[in-house]
This record gives sequence, structure tokens and C-alpha cells, in this order.
Amino acid sequence: MQDLLYFFQQLINGLTIGSTYALIAIGYTMVYGIIGMINFAHGEIYMIGAYTALIAITGLAALGIAWLPVILIVALVCAMIVSSSMGWAVERVAYRPVRGRHRLIPLISAIGMSIFLQNYVHLAQGSRNIGFPALIEGGFRFGSADSFQTSISYMQITIFITTLVCMTLLSLFISRSRIGRACRAVSQDLGMANLLGIDTNRIISATFIIGAALAAVAGLLLGMYYGSIDPLFGFIAGLKAFTAAVLGGIGSIPGAMLGGLILGVAESMTSGYLSGEYKDVVSFGLLILILLFKPTGLLGKPEVEKI
Amino acid sequence: METTVKKLVTAVSASVALMGAGHAAAEIKIGVAGPITGQVAQYGDMQFSGARMAIEQINAAGGVNGEMLEAVEVDDACDPKQAVTVANRLVNEGVRFVVGHLCSSSTQPASDIYEDEGILMVTPASTSPDITERGYELVFRTIGLDSVQGPVAGNYIASLNPERVAIVHDKQQYGEGIATAVRDTLKDAGVEVALFEGITAGDMDFSSLVTKLKQADVDYVYYGGYDPELGLILRQSRQAELDAVFMGPEGVGNKNINTIAGDAAEGLLVTLPPAFDKKAENQELVKAFQDKGEDPSGPFVLTSYTAVQLIAEGIEQAESTDPFDVAASLRSNSFNTPIGTVEYDEKGDMKSFEFVVYEWHSDGSKTPVN
Repeated sequence: MQDLLYFFQQLINGLTIGSTYALIAIGYTMVYGIIGMINFAHGEIYMIGAYTALIAITGLAALGIAWLPVILIVALVCAMIVSSSMGWAVERVAYRPVRGRHRLIPLISAIGMSIFLQNYVHLAQGSRNIGFPALIEGGFRFGSADSFQTSISYMQITIFITTLVCMTLLSLFISRSRIGRACRAVSQDLGMANLLGIDTNRIISATFIIGAALAAVAGLLLGMYYGSIDPLFGFIAGLKAFTAAVLGGIGSIPGAMLGGLILGVAESMTSGYLSGEYKDVVSFGLLILILLFKPTGLLGKPEVEKI
Repeated sequence: METTVKKLVTAVSASVALMGAGHAAAEIKIGVAGPITGQVAQYGDMQFSGARMAIEQINAAGGVNGEMLEAVEVDDACDPKQAVTVANRLVNEGVRFVVGHLCSSSTQPASDIYEDEGILMVTPASTSPDITERGYELVFRTIGLDSVQGPVAGNYIASLNPERVAIVHDKQQYGEGIATAVRDTLKDAGVEVALFEGITAGDMDFSSLVTKLKQADVDYVYYGGYDPELGLILRQSRQAELDAVFMGPEGVGNKNINTIAGDAAEGLLVTLPPAFDKKAENQELVKAFQDKGEDPSGPFVLTSYTAVQLIAEGIEQAESTDPFDVAASLRSNSFNTPIGTVEYDEKGDMKSFEFVVYEWHSDGSKTPVN
């Protein structure tokens, strides 16, 4: 019984961290699906989302507003607006001018953008960790009090539900709305979509904006969950999320969700049953194995050579 | 147009060269190398504040054998690669004495360069035993070793008769080194070490580790590493209601841990150098720091101050600014400093340096426990 509770606890830990990987992975996978480039600055957009949310929360506290729903909604909206504008601006400044060139050029431009944003926040906000208030506290417990108890915090539940809601809304948006249909058309054939009268530049901008908005949601959630942020925390999260996107099949939205959850659970199970030292060895080993046997990732479609 | 620019450039470089020459004649350059940016910049602040004060006071008192000290401050960000870059920069600047570096993993590669180039280095903060194990002639420190700090922590935990202890470290030279020393001490004392595990520095999620600690039902957790990770571990342990006492080395003992962990930092045990700023004979110096609006209570402020003072007194006693003469004078004399009487052994370690166990509080203050 105790072993089972332990297993469930590790599963919950893994699913929580996996959901946040998935939220960030969306930004990588959508951009790749549409213009076939890897936006390495996406982790920084997520970090900027977390900083904006913190600034908004601090500002509200200074104004004396203490009602939780208001704080959360205002922080979320501010973070989404700032991150989306950043996402849009990054595409406009660093990617659009080099679009259609050799694949390496946008990639290098993205890495440059990532380093630029990281250092910009270093300078603007200082390089130290900044505390993030835990706004949602408490949780449920299972199991008897004198032995091992499985606990789920309200924060973990919030993360999990928010991710599910965002993913569902995004899937509906892509499959039902006009812009979503245009997105799919652009991802199938950019040139043809252009010929048929779709404003592809607008669609590509929209993709960056949506990805950045979801990264901002993840930024706020993870800031509250971990309680501290620093200018580098987007880099590592971005790397993991990118791995999740590749694992699930880059370009596929359900793939990002699946990849995120698998990566999160693999990490927590490795730390839980083997040793934390092997966490990255196992999760990246898993990635290599999957790519060896299924190069397009778990849910990725085999790429059809465009003529 | 082109010729004007050329003339200008020549004129400027000539005057720069002249200025440089002018300075070199009357000044002794002291390189101060530590993190100004990066994850552990708050320790760098302590180091720079201590070194600046010492240089200021020595110059105000007439300098060293009539020559003024001049600080050359460089930022290694606690990154070994950057440490090598800035060490080379100090070499190019003609610096012959260095106070630094802070992180053991930076001090180690930088000290190779200093030794090769004949530069004397005094680190005010690096505690890894390896640094002085290589038979270098010009490497000194004004702080104790992990091999001293580890046993202090291990013996303290053992004296509390714990049932099970877990040891976690960040897999870096400093963290793993000290964690190993603690483990060995505990084993010698017959205490069961239920878990010895590394984490990845820079990670944010330690929920799996915390769950494991809870399952192992440990009553003490020793963490070898720095405050950003321990802060998160403390906070996540509090959320998971892990009922264990945490202990860490001086790398976790700063107010940043309160920013991250909040109330969860209450009751954390930390081994630190004794509070030199509380000693009666240092009160005048403490007041000088306070007058400048600086806080002398950080663990590396007065060790840095001492590092500069030792270099200055070494030069005075050797009556030479040759680093090898100064090194010989440091080894053969005894110095009266704010951190007590300093005498060096052959390796460049202080003959005695003690660590004290403190209990940390959620407001960032600390009280000694023994």
C-alpha cells in the first residue's frame, strides 16, 4: 500500500512538471509546423512571461488589491499581452527578414535572440533569484497520517487543469476557426496558401502570438509553483520543452502534450526509483531511442517531400 | 580625413601608454576576481566590499612601502570558462597579486594560470581541498577547507543522535566534495546514511527528490551546494510536509535563501566561519563598513579584507613586490588580522580555521547553536 502511494506521488509529480513542459512545447511545435524553424528564443518568452506576471502581482499588492481571482486574472492578462507582443516582435525583427533563406540562418538568428533576451532581463531585473509569492496554497492528502502520505496540492491541480483547458481550446481553435484553418493550410504548403489569398505573414505572426501567450500561462503557473524566478530559468525549461516537442512529434499539437507528459513522468520515475543523477540520462536516452525507431516522433507525420 | 584619424589614434594610444607607464611606477595592482553577475553574485558583493575597504584603508594610511594599491576588478560569474578568460586578462594588465576567486570550480583553473605566470593568489572563499593539493607555491587562502567544514557538520549531526540521514549534493566540486566529507564523518560515527544523491544545479523541480526523502523517513538532510537549489528544496519540502531538519555549508548561508524559501528557511542549520564582525577588536572596522552603508556580516567580507591585508603586509615584510618573495614571507611569518592570527603551512592553507554551526531564521538572521 505504501509503495503504491509512493508510486502515485511520483506519478503526480511527473504529470505536473510534464504539463508545464507541454504548455511550453506548444510554442516550439506550432512554429515548426508552420515555417519549419526552431524558435530557440521561446524559452526566454516564457521567462519574460513569468517576470511580467510577478511585476503585475507586486503592482497589485502595492495598490492594496488582495482578492485572489483579480490578482491571478490581471497577472495572467498582463503576462500574456507582454509575452505575445514579444513573440510577435521577435518574429518581425529576427525571423521574417531571413525567412526562406538557408535553414541555418533563422536558427542562428533564434539563438542570438535567445541570448539577447536573457541578457536583457539580466540587466533590467538583476541576475539574482527573485521570490514569487505562492498565491494558491494547501491541498489534498491520501493515506494514514503515521506512514507515507500522497499529497496533491491545489497548485498542482491548477497546473494540470489549466494545461488541459488550454490544450482543448487550442485544438478547437485550430480545427474550427478561420485562422486555425488558415494555419493548417499554411503548414501544408506555404506557397500555395499564399497563392490562394491567405495572408501568410499574418498567419505566421498569429502562430508566434499564440505560442507566446501559452508560454506566458506556463510562466505564471511555474513561477507560483516554484516560488522563485531568475533570468536563466527559461533556458533550461525551453530545452526540456523542445525535447518534449521532438519526442511527441514536432509539428503535432497532441504530440507536444504527450511528449511533455512522457518526459515529465520519465524524469520523476527515474529520480524516484533510480537516482536523481540519472534523470537527464534516462529522459534523453529515451528521446534518442524514440528518434532511432520513429524519427518523426510519437505522433509526428512522416514528412512528404514537397515538389 | 584618413590621416587625421590615424594621427588621432596615434596620439591617443601614445598618451594611454604614457598614462599606463605613469601608473605602473607608483602603484601596486591588486586583481579582485569574483562573480559580479550570475547565480552567486551576492557572495561576490561580499568579496568586493571587503577588498575595496582594505585597499581604501591601506592607501589612506600611506600605502605599502610608499606605493598605493590599485584594484582591478573582474567578473568571473562563477563560471570556470569565464574565470580563465578573466585570469588571462589580469595577466595582460600586469597584475601580480590577486584576491579571488570565489567559487572553487573557478579558482581551480584560474590558479593554474596564476602559478604559471608568477602571480600570487589569495582566495577568500574557495574551500575545496584540491586547490592547495597541487604543490603550488603562489596559492593561498583565508578560509577553511571543506575537509574541515564537512567534519564539523557531520559531527554536529551525529551528536543529535539521528536515526536516518540523507545527503544531497549538486554534483559540483564544492558541493559534492563537502557532501562526501560529511558522509564519511557520519559513517565513522556509526550514523546510517539512508540516501546519498546528486541533483542538477539549475533545476527547479525537486518534487521527486522530496517524495523520496519522505519515503526514506529521514530526520536530517545535509545539502552540499548553493542557496538557489536548497531554497527550492526547502520550499518544496515544506509544501510536501516533509518533517526533517536541513543543514548546509556556508554556500547556502545568505539572505537569498529567505527570498526563495520564505518561512521554510526557519530552523535550517548552516556551518559558517565564526562571526568575525562580532569580535570586540573588529568593532572599529565594522563601523567603517557601516558608515559606507555596507554590511560586514557576510561570511566573505572580512576574509577578503584579510586577503588584501596579507598581500600588503607580505610585501612590506619581504620589502619586495616579487610574488615569490611575498609568498615566502607569508609562509614564514604570523599575521594579526580581523579573522584572527594567520599562519600558513607549506600548501598555503591556514594552520587553523574553525567553522561554527548556526541556526538560520526566516527573517535572514542567524544564531549560533554551540
